[in-house]
Amino acid sequence: MSLADLQSWLMSEGVSEDIAALTKLTARSDLCNLAAETETIDPDNIDWQRLILAGSILARSERRFDQEAALRIAVAAISLVDDTKIRDAGAVLLDKLSNFRAVTLGVSRGLILGDLDGRLGVSLRLESQRREMDRSVLVETTGHWLEVNEFQQQFWTGASAATWLSASAPTASGKTFLVLQWLVDQMGSGGANVAIYLAPTRALVSEIETNLEVLLKGTKGIAVSSLPLRTKFDATKADGSRLILVLTQERMHLLANVLGADFLIDLLIVDEAHKIGDDGRGVILQDAIERATRLNSQIKVIFISPATQNPGELLTDAPAHAKTVAVDSDAPTVLQNLILAAPVKGKPRRWMLNVRQGGADIEIGTLELSSTPSSFAKRLAFVAAAATGERGGTLVYANGAAESEDIADLISQLQPDNDLKPIDPELAALAELARKGIHPSFRLAPLVERGVAFHFGNMPSLLRLEIERLFRLGKIRFLVCTSTLVEGVNLSCRTIVVRGPRKGQGNPMEPHDFWNLAGRAGRWGDEFQGNIICLDPQDQDAWPKGVPLRARYPIRRESDAVLDAGDTLVTFLKARADSKPSEIENSGEFEQVGAYLLTTYLRLGSIAKAEFAKRHDPDLIQSLDAVLATIAKGIEIAPELAGRHSGVSPIGMQRLLETFRLYQGEPDNLLPVEVASDDSYDRFVTIMRRINSSLFPAFEPDSRATVYALIVYQWLKGRSLADIIRRNIAWHDKVGRKYTLPSIIRDTMALVEQIARFRAPKYLSAYMDVLHLYYVEIEREDLIDDGLDIGTQLEFGVSSRTLISLMELGLSRMTAVALYEKIARDDLDQGQAKKWVEDRTDQLEGMDLPVIIVRELRERLLADGDPVSPDEGRV
Amino acid sequence: MGVKKPVSYGDLHFGTQTEARAFLNAMLNKYDIGDKVSASDAVILTAALALHPEAEDKIGVGIKDFSVRSADFGSKCFWVNRNDGTTDKFSHKACV
Repeated sequence: MSLADLQSWLMSEGVSEDIAALTKLTARSDLCNLAAETETIDPDNIDWQRLILAGSILARSERRFDQEAALRIAVAAISLVDDTKIRDAGAVLLDKLSNFRAVTLGVSRGLILGDLDGRLGVSLRLESQRREMDRSVLVETTGHWLEVNEFQQQFWTGASAATWLSASAPTASGKTFLVLQWLVDQMGSGGANVAIYLAPTRALVSEIETNLEVLLKGTKGIAVSSLPLRTKFDATKADGSRLILVLTQERMHLLANVLGADFLIDLLIVDEAHKIGDDGRGVILQDAIERATRLNSQIKVIFISPATQNPGELLTDAPAHAKTVAVDSDAPTVLQNLILAAPVKGKPRRWMLNVRQGGADIEIGTLELSSTPSSFAKRLAFVAAAATGERGGTLVYANGAAESEDIADLISQLQPDNDLKPIDPELAALAELARKGIHPSFRLAPLVERGVAFHFGNMPSLLRLEIERLFRLGKIRFLVCTSTLVEGVNLSCRTIVVRGPRKGQGNPMEPHDFWNLAGRAGRWGDEFQGNIICLDPQDQDAWPKGVPLRARYPIRRESDAVLDAGDTLVTFLKARADSKPSEIENSGEFEQVGAYLLTTYLRLGSIAKAEFAKRHDPDLIQSLDAVLATIAKGIEIAPELAGRHSGVSPIGMQRLLETFRLYQGEPDNLLPVEVASDDSYDRFVTIMRRINSSLFPAFEPDSRATVYALIVYQWLKGRSLADIIRRNIAWHDKVGRKYTLPSIIRDTMALVEQIARFRAPKYLSAYMDVLHLYYVEIEREDLIDDGLDIGTQLEFGVSSRTLISLMELGLSRMTAVALYEKIARDDLDQGQAKKWVEDRTDQLEGMDLPVIIVRELRERLLADGDPVSPDEGRV
Repeated sequence: MGVKKPVSYGDLHFGTQTEARAFLNAMLNKYDIGDKVSASDAVILTAALALHPEAEDKIGVGIKDFSVRSADFGSKCFWVNRNDGTTDKFSHKACV
């Protein structure tokens, strides 16, 4: 019998019943409000020696299922019985699984006595020490050895040796922690001077930037920035320091536009790299990576993705000379119990729980709810509250922002009445920020005072990061989240409660998306196990295809997926050249990739020369080339100009140029007007309508352009979100339009994020570039202003020099705007803005600014604050 | 039938108020909202605004230039921008 045969036999027969018993015991130990059982398993009657032996055999397996069983045995051994020898054996098994964080956790909880090595026999001790040496990597800048798991070690060794590396591992494998450690080490040891960390969401940008600042505290000569501005870049060059830029793909394009030939970088890290497959923004990410590698032939590229099937796919476009390495790990670090919860027939307050393991369901008991759940929202809320009890660490997944608020409200009503207890100061500060920064009646405020919160994508980053931090710390015990969390926020939890999860416009989640969410259950180093509680698993409406089996994400570029549409794409391109985009089928689906293909054609003269061509049928490439050649004949937009605006079609840019040529009025009326002017708002309306008819219908219908222009105008004016919301409410009151407060708050936040910060920068930037081209053509270069690019102004919602300086100093927009309300001058440079704050160090608390804003000011601008890591509280 | 009243904006002469209004209307429609009125049109508008019943209030400290901006119910109209930075809309139909 081979080792693999033995492992298979153990799982199918040898210890399968024991594992089921351990699963029941361990899962029960982690849940509250379970009904007492008449028949129980006594852990002392388990044959631990036999199980530990089986565990050490299974630990040598490559299969995740086997490793999970070994981990289950180890965790059960250290937590279920009070026998030091069995617990020590469990600890050794954890060590064999390279799960050093679980050993440390066991020691800190008093489950494993200290000096484990001292109690081991000579051979076990030697073996353990050898493993420790094998599983350590040298941090060059400090000279310290860092203990790592197998994935982390493969990453560290591979990243140092390869030029292109793609690594994938499950959510709780310590990926981000290690990548940031490695990045800082690279920068410190001279491996790179300028690095770009591409994070495909603004939420992740803020998180990574903050984490890096904590890691680099006290380190001189390495700066971190998330602003696509020249200043930091030039400062780095001038004083020989190093720079890490944390950017979304759109911001990277903005930076490359500003820097031109100076866009020189040594290292590119692409986090959440599987998002290269996202509709609409995937191709922008691909384009950003290609742009960076085209302009920097010696660049090192690192891709990171969570639990993907094929990380090597991202290496297929590496240049021939590049040394490529794929690191693919699927090893579990914490136990994850997939729990199916369904009400007992006729007893809606009693819910039967089963753990699904392999193909079998193991009954673990009955959960007792405090009230009868009469709606789906109540089911989620009541099950979450009952299963979690007082401990917290629970995420509830809601299908949409409005639902997340309702569920959070229900959960808060089930919390013990703490009216007599003082509210935790950090929760009180968060509530204050919600009231002052959003609206005095924002629903979040009273909820966080009770340790419950909701979380969705359009919230300002300062608020969202603080919610995440307090959730990690355990002060927020329940967090009701939306798909933002699946879209790239590094947040793990103890328990996830979910019912019929949807992504986007009501589509049931694909298995890999579901497991991207579910994979967050179990915080490695903080807990031994995590629970994913799926409600109503038999309900066809909730789970049309049942609760998904574990699946890893297939990496597939958006461009490849669209190219596979074949003739439909060819038809689209022909139509795009001849008709208005609003009249074309598949316009939304193909527009970005269509733009990418045409830009590539303009640059290379044939898409057959592009790297992606090798992945597709040569006949298709040929027919696309033929269509693109016809289109290109009518395009006067240079490839360099087209390349500056990823996702914007050169066809649209050409039409816009022609619109300018036909314009009969004064040429300066084509420019946006600065927001101080009374014409500004109306000019934006006209420009947006011009963009709709010529470039792309980004602000359609035309009647909505007035709302969009107003948001853009207010945002650029540097108004606070609270102010914009207040004005929106006042307008509704004035014209007698009905609204509900929660929805108007959410809608305003969505307009800011989706229009002012996403669509407007993208299309207004392209508009300005084409306009400049036109001004050169009519010899009116005098109208071209070389100030801050409108795209950057819009991304950050700033137009005054003082506001830009405050954000360049590292403040969030929320803090910068709040402070700007106190500053008289609008032309302060960075030094003057910093001095303004330094001169008022003792007065900050008296300025009626929210505590969290004052804290950020002190951390970022004054030396007296210690940065607060989003990871604070974690091991 | 009312009496036909001739209207003059500087050197521009119109036989009736209707013709004068139509001329200003055509001028307004040349512009998109948010546009600055051209220097040559501004000369005419300055003369026209002097005929507005509230001319003194509308002109205030003096005219800097004119804009076309949105008015109520999705329409547009001329706005006078004064030297002191204030601005006010006016109906060109009243400038006869």
